[in-house]
Amino acid sequence: MDVTIKHKDVDRFVLDLLSSFDVIAPVARDGRFIFDKINSPSEVSAQYNTTILPPVKWLYPDNEKLLEFNLKDINSMKPVVQANKQVLTFIHPCDINAINIMDEVLAEEPADVNYLARRRASVIIGYECLKPCKEDNILCFDKGYHIAYKGYDLFFTDLGERYYVNVVTDAGMEIVNGYDYFIRAGYEDWLRLLKVREDRKKGFKKSVNGDMEMLSHVLKESYNDEIWAIEGKKCVSCGACNIVCPTCYCFDVADEVCPDMEEGSRHRKLDGCQLRGFCKVATGENFRKSAAERVRHRVFKKEVYLKKRFGKSGCVGCGRCIEHCIAKISIVEIFNHVMGR
Amino acid sequence: MGEETQKSNLVPMAATIVGIRQMTDKEKLFTVRLDNGNGFKHRPCQFVLISMFGIGEAPISISSPPVNSGNTFELCIRSIGNLTGAIHRSSVNDRIGIRGPYGNGFPLEKIEGKDILIIAGGLGLAPIRSLIKHVLNERGRYGRLILLIGAKRPEDILFKEEIAMWEEDHSIEMHVSVDIAAPSWKNHVGVITGLFKYITIDPLNTIAAVVGPPVMYRFVVKELLAKKMFEGNIFLDMERRMRCGIGKCGHCQINGIYLCQNGPVLSYLEARKLQEAL
Repeated sequence: MDVTIKHKDVDRFVLDLLSSFDVIAPVARDGRFIFDKINSPSEVSAQYNTTILPPVKWLYPDNEKLLEFNLKDINSMKPVVQANKQVLTFIHPCDINAINIMDEVLAEEPADVNYLARRRASVIIGYECLKPCKEDNILCFDKGYHIAYKGYDLFFTDLGERYYVNVVTDAGMEIVNGYDYFIRAGYEDWLRLLKVREDRKKGFKKSVNGDMEMLSHVLKESYNDEIWAIEGKKCVSCGACNIVCPTCYCFDVADEVCPDMEEGSRHRKLDGCQLRGFCKVATGENFRKSAAERVRHRVFKKEVYLKKRFGKSGCVGCGRCIEHCIAKISIVEIFNHVMGR
Repeated sequence: MGEETQKSNLVPMAATIVGIRQMTDKEKLFTVRLDNGNGFKHRPCQFVLISMFGIGEAPISISSPPVNSGNTFELCIRSIGNLTGAIHRSSVNDRIGIRGPYGNGFPLEKIEGKDILIIAGGLGLAPIRSLIKHVLNERGRYGRLILLIGAKRPEDILFKEEIAMWEEDHSIEMHVSVDIAAPSWKNHVGVITGLFKYITIDPLNTIAAVVGPPVMYRFVVKELLAKKMFEGNIFLDMERRMRCGIGKCGHCQINGIYLCQNGPVLSYLEARKLQEAL
């Protein structure tokens, strides 16, 4: 059963969510948008373009405590799995698709228990994109990731003065059943939804010339292309693309010790395959020495290796890596280059 | 939600160091026992992640054979970084954390009845000693055992007492070479590939196991192919930066595969298809 909610009731809805969940929402900050834990409905910016960091960071934080221990007694070692009940609200389809990819990658045995616990404790409310976040440097439409077919409990589509709410899961149903401002959607609402979705098609355009289904094959043929050396020369190996990517999950493990030198904890911290030392071993050998190899690895990991393993591209086309690259390296340009070979 | 009871794959088991033996000026051999008393089964060339609480984790290959006495296993560790430096400073009865064993390990089922040719350079002897001792423990199940061992200097050679015993063992054909040596050194001098001229093999009935510094592999493989060995019978122990052991953290990835899951042992037939492998 789908429902609708009037725009003016959304603040009340957010307020009601706040009474039982941590609410993570898009928030305007210094002219940009981020996902943050909010305290009041007034902080929410439902009309936002791509956030700096993706919402998946609330499921897979950059610094996650795995273990607590006392240096004097290792029997005190205690695993930490933090999973607050939280709602991630107004999530764009590209980011939902990224979460779907993370779900598959991290549930593969041996599974990532910490991620899965957070994931199970999270409700996801999607928010339909009726126009692209920006003109170029995004690939969501090319990849079909501007639409999400699963991975959310509720999904909001703006119909003008009201939202159409697609109720998908029991958790989503429980939420809408709890509040009387959700009204059962009728035939009119549904027709309107179809119209809005039909109109949406005009707004999106492709960024890459060529058949995206062929991209993975074309890249494999381009392993020794000159593009990697060219982009590698530009790359400063800062790892910004890794940090902002909604499907980058590589990590490092490190311990922290309190100043009392007794209590300590072990943390999983995001690492990046673009950083110089990522593949360096203790004896000094570096198995991916050049920036060219590292740039190629990032592109191949998303488009070739993840695709082979899970049957879908690991790049959702959000464009964050392009926007945040200080060397102006663009996967759109790389894809267009290899497709044009 | 019950997740608290589900243990993370990243949580170590408590273990105790029950023995320490100085091997060279850089390497020590640690004997470790899990506190749960169960021990574990492993294959040669698998590795564990050791935890020194307050510092972190590091991957170390298991040097002891699959069947251990008293539920202990051995780790040959070079002091080279923070964590390995700390474990070198620890003493018997000190407690550490252990995760694993991880990796595919050596495919023992493929080598039964075959001649075994082992090429070990430097610290590579640490993981492959597990296989050597396994073959010696089950001597009747294998054919010839040929060992080519290389090191930088005579004083860097690991497991010297055992090598002396293997020298006496007529069921082993062994050649040892060092890169640099004083005139008193009675054995070979030169890179490990120089030892191939002293051996003859039956290429159809031989399995080769190669482990050593990364630079060694392509030269050794070339020698083995020159001896007409089949690519699928050459096994390479590809050590990388194993960080998580559960195929997630990305550090050991070469092209599409995680070596902590599908490695570290790859046949040359598999490895040569991976551009980043050799």
